[in-house]
Amino acid sequence: MSYKDRFKQMKSGFDFGQALAEADRCLLCHDAPCSKGCPADTDPATFIRKFRFRNITGAIRTIKANNILGGACGVLCPTAELCEQECSATGIGQPIAIGKIQRFLIEHGRKMNFKVFEKATPRPEKVAVVGSGPAGLSCAAELAKDGFRVTVFEAREKPGGVLRYGVVSYRFDRDFLAGEMADIKDLGVEFKCSTPIDNQKGAEDLLKDGYQAVFVAPGLWDAVQLKRELGDIQGLYSSVAYLEGLRDGHMDQLAQEVQNKTVAVIGGGSVAMDCVESAAKLGAKDVYLVYRRSYSQMPAEEDERIEALQSGIHFLLLNQPIDYEVDADKRITGLKLVRTALGEEDASGRRSPVNVEGSEWILDADVVIEAIGNKAEDDSPNWYPNVDVNKKNLIQVESETGQTSVPGIFAGGDIVRGPALVVTAVQDGKVAARAIKEYLDK
Amino acid sequence: MSNQQIDLSIEFCGKTFKNPFLLSSSPVSNSAEMVARSFEAGWSGVVFKTLNSDRLPIIHPSPRMNAFHYGAKRVVGVQNVEQISDRPLKDNLIDFLYLKKHYPEHILISSVMGFSDDEWAYLAKASEDNGADILELNFSCPHMCIEGTGHHVGKAFDLIEKFTTTVKNTVSIPVIAKMTPNITDMTEPAIHAKNGGADAISAINTVSGISEVGLEDLVPKPNIFGIGAVSGTSGPAIKPIGLHFIADMAQCEALALPLSGIGGIETWIDALEYLLLGAATIQVTTGIMHYGYRIVEDMIEGLSDFMQQRHITSVTDLVGKALPNLKTTDHFELDRQGITQYDLDKCIGCGQCYIVCTDAAGQALEWDAAERRPKLIENKCLSCMLCSFVCPVHDLITFKEMPEDWKRDETQVMDSSLESEIKLEPFTKEVPNECPY
Repeated sequence: MSYKDRFKQMKSGFDFGQALAEADRCLLCHDAPCSKGCPADTDPATFIRKFRFRNITGAIRTIKANNILGGACGVLCPTAELCEQECSATGIGQPIAIGKIQRFLIEHGRKMNFKVFEKATPRPEKVAVVGSGPAGLSCAAELAKDGFRVTVFEAREKPGGVLRYGVVSYRFDRDFLAGEMADIKDLGVEFKCSTPIDNQKGAEDLLKDGYQAVFVAPGLWDAVQLKRELGDIQGLYSSVAYLEGLRDGHMDQLAQEVQNKTVAVIGGGSVAMDCVESAAKLGAKDVYLVYRRSYSQMPAEEDERIEALQSGIHFLLLNQPIDYEVDADKRITGLKLVRTALGEEDASGRRSPVNVEGSEWILDADVVIEAIGNKAEDDSPNWYPNVDVNKKNLIQVESETGQTSVPGIFAGGDIVRGPALVVTAVQDGKVAARAIKEYLDK
Repeated sequence: MSNQQIDLSIEFCGKTFKNPFLLSSSPVSNSAEMVARSFEAGWSGVVFKTLNSDRLPIIHPSPRMNAFHYGAKRVVGVQNVEQISDRPLKDNLIDFLYLKKHYPEHILISSVMGFSDDEWAYLAKASEDNGADILELNFSCPHMCIEGTGHHVGKAFDLIEKFTTTVKNTVSIPVIAKMTPNITDMTEPAIHAKNGGADAISAINTVSGISEVGLEDLVPKPNIFGIGAVSGTSGPAIKPIGLHFIADMAQCEALALPLSGIGGIETWIDALEYLLLGAATIQVTTGIMHYGYRIVEDMIEGLSDFMQQRHITSVTDLVGKALPNLKTTDHFELDRQGITQYDLDKCIGCGQCYIVCTDAAGQALEWDAAERRPKLIENKCLSCMLCSFVCPVHDLITFKEMPEDWKRDETQVMDSSLESEIKLEPFTKEVPNECPY
């Protein structure tokens, strides 16, 4: 199998029989706790009950009406920490695989060509959405359902944001994204790609161009770096650049860089897991995951961690990267680490790592990928100069509405919260859409 | 395997069966090759697929069956449009000879069905001459359209008697008459079979039914190229019907014949229930269609262990053991009442009990939303036990009897102020206290 094949497609989800068997295990709780566990108010108790009583179209409607990216969330959500964590069936065994049932229903709906939404009565108002990631798509869809004329401005060549450029294709592929996008396009949402909203043309200018409201959701596309002052080092990648490269046509180049080499990935979150696994799939000889805390403290989901371990990734725990080793050509040769020990609990309630003095050592590596977080781009405040931002350049909003300091401009998703889940961004988009409707109704 | 010390053998129609578990006459007993494998698996005997005299060609409809699923639970019932054996009579008889040669200790029961006295006699004689230990007269195949065959006979009681007499006059081996359940009272045709000389009764054959309608083409299933038909339903879904007819016949003093129980048997518990209600042997098809011959291993082992635990040494001692406790509903002691009791330490908080009690019972539960626990109001509990049926935790909800002086609250009216507006005269006519029908 070539590395290309390994990236081609997501693993298939439940088929009808598997989904039905899983739904049959559901206890159909009274006052169901799963339905209180979703940041986007998805209602598993209702869609599973509908499915169980063979009201399959109704089940799909329940998911989609509340979450236009219900399919994406079914695939990407850390369900074990959300709805499934609340599942009563855990008391007598395993929680119901809610995410997998949700994914099945959405895929089944596509197979049946079942359309949930009918065209709304058109309204004259135009709304601009900046960014076509989960928050932007959710807001755009919600507004289009109300009949507004919605235009989404996307800086990149194609829409989807993190769903297209920030997740590896074997976790979430383009066909699946296309299915999600189709529903949004059917609602009449217009997409303007390769159209950045930036210093030249800012979000506030859109208000002057005939858009009565703007939703700003560009996401976070700059990488947190270990040592920013290093400048260009060959073989050093941010997770943002690396994952985007895998999705936008640079896979061959990355494969050449990685094949039969030693790759070290710094970080312990889901993105780090995507980086290690994809490096292994590209053909790296050894892949190290370097994390400064312990295994159980990793933010990545348990399933992802286990999958990474099983696929042969070496977990290098309790090691803090402190510097890079480079040769005369500024080509990376290794990663300088210091061992850590767990000390006192920090603000997150986790024991924090403390460097062990004198324990520095060098891990030989040909490629290093930093997966230690995303942040707002430095000049992003200039894209909306009158909108209040905090010192991390995150936009300040009223949490119940997404309203910024500028009337008519709303914001949501990671540019407001910092790095967060897809499902949270979906909710931000919905919340803002409701507020925008209220704002325009006035 | 099973406990070797337990002897599961039983006498039935003068023959010794090494255990009460037989294949019933169906696709699972279609050939000696199949039956031999079933014997190896542990079945004690077979009612071979109903013989056909070659007079008419038997062509099976295609497809032959449809499954009745319940949610993700597969095959709680099967609907089939099987006919009698489509093999030449000679082939079936050669297979009889093979089975008796290689499995002389196993009981071979030949199922026959004729279209006339002569044909019944012909098939009965051919069976006896080629080694059949017993005959089973198929008065119940639900797929024979011709008057005087299959279940049409089963409903024309004089024909049952006549054909049984004919067979009994032809052969000396014992004769079982197999009944259709598609009637209200089975004792009547069974007594006709007895009058004709039958040595035993087997029941039930399949229940006339429709398992499913195709929603695309609006054709009931199985869909035989655009046509569906009412046909025989079998499997776990019909077990209650089978148990009822067996118990009825077992309690019928005028009948007093040994019984072979059939209908929805998959486990030793199902089989034991048939035994306890009066069957001496049991027959299985749908369970085998679903799981294969291997299920007999669990029947043997399960029944053996049950008997050992209860110090029961003979299967015969089990036959009919539950019948003294089976009475009509007018025998209930209505002055004894009980309620449910909840072991909430086991509760996982799903709240299904609360839903069913509120919507289908006595509104005897309150829901503590913060703790996610039900709270029982004892005086409102109807003891319907619905809550225990839906509870996913084993033995969390059980029944307990209440003291004699305990009284259940009456269901309240919504608005007692409306009493002044009620239009109602007391009922004063004389009526007998017992149901006249």
